[in-house]
Amino acid sequence: MGASQCSQTHPQKYKQYEDFADRTGFSLEQINNLHKRFRQLSDNTETISRENLENIPALANNPLRKQIIGAFFDKRNQHEEEVGSIQEIGFQQFLMVMSHFRPPGLKMTEEEKEAMRKEKLRFLFNMHDTDNDGTITVDEYRKVVEELMSNNDIGQEAAKAIADAAMLEVASINMPHMGPDDFYEGITFEHFEQILKGLEMESRMNVRFLDVDTSTMRCGKGK
Amino acid sequence: MVQWEWSYVQTPYIIAVWLLLASLAKILFHFSQRWTTVVPESVMLILLGLVLGGVVLIANEKQLYQLEPSLFFLFLLPTIVGDAGYFMPARLFFDNLGAILLYAVVGTLWNAFCTGFCLYGCKLLGIIDARVDAGMMEFLLFGALISAVDPVAVIAVFEEVHVNETLFIIVFGESLLNDAVTVVLYKVYISFVEVGPGNVQTVDYFKGVASFLIVSIGGVLVGLVFAVILGFITRFTKKVRIIEPLFVFLLVYLAYLTAELCSLSSILSMTFCGIGANKYVEANISQKSRTTVKYTMKTLASIAETIIFIFLGISAVDKSKWAWDTGLVSSTLIFISIFRVMGVIGQTWILNRFRLVPLDKIDQVVMSYGGLRGAVAFALVVLLDAKYVKAKDYFVATTIVVIFFTVMFQGLTIKPLVKWLKVPRATNRKPTINEEIHERAFDHILAAVEDIAGLQGYHHWRDKWEQFDKNYLSKLLLRRSVYRKSDLWEVYQKINIRDAISVIDQGGNVLTSARLSLPSVASRASLPEMNVANYLRENGSGVCLDLQVDSVGGVKVEEGTETHHVLTNLYKPRKRYQAHYSRHFMSLGDQERQEREVFQRNMKSRMETYKSGRHKRHKKDRSQKKRRGSDAKEQDTGDKPRRNVSWQDKEPVLVSMEPEADDRGDNSDTEKDEDVGITFVARNAETPKERPKSECCGSPSSALPPAPPSPNLPWKSVGGVGSLPPCVSVETKIIPVDLQQAWNQSISSLESISSPGPGPSSVLSERVHPRLSVLGLGRLVAQRPVSYTPGSTITITPGSVATMAIGSIGSRGGPTPQIAHGAAAFQLFSGRKEEEEEEDGDLTEQQEEARPLMSSPPAPPPPQAPPTSGPGKGRSPRVYVRSLVTAPPTQL
Repeated sequence: MGASQCSQTHPQKYKQYEDFADRTGFSLEQINNLHKRFRQLSDNTETISRENLENIPALANNPLRKQIIGAFFDKRNQHEEEVGSIQEIGFQQFLMVMSHFRPPGLKMTEEEKEAMRKEKLRFLFNMHDTDNDGTITVDEYRKVVEELMSNNDIGQEAAKAIADAAMLEVASINMPHMGPDDFYEGITFEHFEQILKGLEMESRMNVRFLDVDTSTMRCGKGK
Repeated sequence: MVQWEWSYVQTPYIIAVWLLLASLAKILFHFSQRWTTVVPESVMLILLGLVLGGVVLIANEKQLYQLEPSLFFLFLLPTIVGDAGYFMPARLFFDNLGAILLYAVVGTLWNAFCTGFCLYGCKLLGIIDARVDAGMMEFLLFGALISAVDPVAVIAVFEEVHVNETLFIIVFGESLLNDAVTVVLYKVYISFVEVGPGNVQTVDYFKGVASFLIVSIGGVLVGLVFAVILGFITRFTKKVRIIEPLFVFLLVYLAYLTAELCSLSSILSMTFCGIGANKYVEANISQKSRTTVKYTMKTLASIAETIIFIFLGISAVDKSKWAWDTGLVSSTLIFISIFRVMGVIGQTWILNRFRLVPLDKIDQVVMSYGGLRGAVAFALVVLLDAKYVKAKDYFVATTIVVIFFTVMFQGLTIKPLVKWLKVPRATNRKPTINEEIHERAFDHILAAVEDIAGLQGYHHWRDKWEQFDKNYLSKLLLRRSVYRKSDLWEVYQKINIRDAISVIDQGGNVLTSARLSLPSVASRASLPEMNVANYLRENGSGVCLDLQVDSVGGVKVEEGTETHHVLTNLYKPRKRYQAHYSRHFMSLGDQERQEREVFQRNMKSRMETYKSGRHKRHKKDRSQKKRRGSDAKEQDTGDKPRRNVSWQDKEPVLVSMEPEADDRGDNSDTEKDEDVGITFVARNAETPKERPKSECCGSPSSALPPAPPSPNLPWKSVGGVGSLPPCVSVETKIIPVDLQQAWNQSISSLESISSPGPGPSSVLSERVHPRLSVLGLGRLVAQRPVSYTPGSTITITPGSVATMAIGSIGSRGGPTPQIAHGAAAFQLFSGRKEEEEEEDGDLTEQQEEARPLMSSPPAPPPPQAPPTSGPGKGRSPRVYVRSLVTAPPTQL
């Protein structure tokens, strides 16, 4: 649906797509596909609200859906040095968030890879840092683990124990020389980077965005 | 009376002797470390086989033994495949399934056809001698059996070369999954050869394709059916724990045999049975059964592999087999190498267009190089019927040469090659808790993003599968008690145990860390929840547990030392063999349970001896403690009353610590001297009552706070009341303010262990479980910062009397009662545990779940670096700990 008006037949739209492609690194086909999806989610309006995303049926069982959806409405993920959240996002913002999940290219230099890695990490960090203060505090971290384990009826205490152990681990890795009066306020981005060094972010946090038009194969929202 | 009954016992006798011989050969090889690092075991075994074959030949004029195909396919191969399948890292396997399938199916077909046709071409060109009486069909048949990468050879060679997991799983997976292709091609060609090439109709080719689908899919289905049966059966073995492992072996083996029975792909069947059942079986069966399954499988597979390689060597020394044709041999060698390389490059090129993480050139080199041929090819070629395949002898000889070339030449050179190419190696590092958390978070995040983007990619389907598994499969195949457990929780427990073990392993470090971890509640009195005394008691009792047992008397000292030796010997040497997929040595990560058992046993025996020795005294102490505790309550403002325990009610015991020479000698590894092997031996059982204060403070290297003779303990005063001894703040360890709550909570959950209440949130019991506190220390030591390397400890220890751990000394008196108490609790606890092992009822399971023993002690926060302690030399202990106890992360 609506495929024709957003394809190359509209020169203005096409130009805008090229602009998006430059900013996000997506190919035009990918942008086109994502735009279709965007229209689908937004019921052919210009913006998407939280409810639109929350209504995706496939997300219903995802323990982290709140955080993910939150990330789409987080200004920090828009590369514009702003904080706070947005009520409704347009297609450009939608693309921007999605671009965090691009896979690394075949011919990327080390620096580009590093930048990409940072970007992905930053996204993850922002997702955990719900109050925008630059650190993930124990409470915030607990929340993450709790949500993560919310599908298992294992109880909050267990989640808490895990989160605390993880937090202490972070503290001991990053702040080996704490003074008697110091206390660990929370995970800063640098520390976050440090603890997730072992995970190959750039090769892990990827989603394959399709280049081909699959609108005919798709059926309805979220399916 | 004595009769010679040789004929009666002959068969089992010979088998047993062969097994013994093979095992002894292994021991011999591993005598020389230097030798085994250069030459792979498989090569040595083949050489040994050649020698043995020569001996038999000289003695008998005729080769008596050879690798019988029936023996190989019915007994030797299944043990290896069963082990490979059951312990296959499932997540990794399915993540790379696309690549594996492509290489296994397309790659094998490509190799088979190209090799076959080119050999035929060579025959036509006259490069291959006319004596080799074979037509196109025969060459295609030969190409089919010689082109398949062999799982046995791949495991044997690759387990000594620790390439990264992705690379390994692709080569290894290919070698397993290409079985279907090989079997079908082999059978189709055999039938073609038998009817004669002229009689083959077009229909037969389609039949071939159809039979490939049937053989492969059928094999997989048979495997999965057996996996479900196995999972279902183990759900009900609660009462018959002893035969649990048997079910695993039988059903996995039956999967193999059933597939063989229906002439489906038996390797596929067994592999998928193993992969499919592993998750459920491991969750259902008891820990002991798990260990049994693991060890038995590894033992069997290891011995099967040994026998295969020795027999390959022996089979080669057989005059009747050798029909040599240089043209055939050399062209076969060239073609299989060339086509392997071409196939890998071509397929990787295609794959990389789809893979998110492309395979680079180095990977391709290793993959090409990893195309090893082995015993499967040999068994298949021996199975050929000389009536139809006239050139069988030539083919056999060529196959042997090819196998020897790939296993020996490539096996020998792959290690230097991997080193030279700087192939990313497998990391032996175990993922940290943070990484584990984020691994799981990734899965959900990526699935969510795919859902939002409207894509139905890999993560989407994986998520779907996991929900299906959770909602239906797990419900069906898992015990109800297990079903509720969380995967992350288990991982968390494992990590805790790992750390705890490493602490015990390191002996003296417990002490050091405990001493340094006296909490400074410092100025942050604002925290209502901080609780120094409690925190201290945790650590203190942990220390005392260790120390006092040792110091009780001469006998105990010895025992303690012995225990330490046992521990050391148990854990240390294994470190060397951290092979990820090693079959010969259990990887360390898998030993945790076992280590825990050892640990528990040792601790238990220590506690018992200690308890019996000091029973009376404890009683007295306890009452004293109670009284004191109430005193302390009044003093300590911030503390929760029930946690108050004063530590100073006993006269401290002086202990002198010295690094034990023997122990350190054992650990020849670098840095060991610093890191481990310090045993704290109590020198004086008479326990001097007066602590020479001057000495404490005077020893410059001592990072210890002098314990004031007054009943006011340093930490007490730190707690806000009482006088602050000069050195205390230096010594103390900090709990970050915002973590204190967490810390206390975890402590409380620790304590709840000894109390019947199941939830971690349940009552904070007054007792401190000594073992728990040791466990608690686990995380503690693991997280000690650089400056606390035992290196600095050493400077304190030798000879200097009792300067060590004033904190612990101070607490030595105090915790004594708790130890007694704890011992009792421990008994109770272990009793309960055993019971639980037997019963494994839902209730107890739940308790286990809630039991924070291995779960709750979160690491204390990083201690502050004491100015007085030596400069932070050596590695961070944490790093050490990790390197000490590391293992593959996979096997999810």
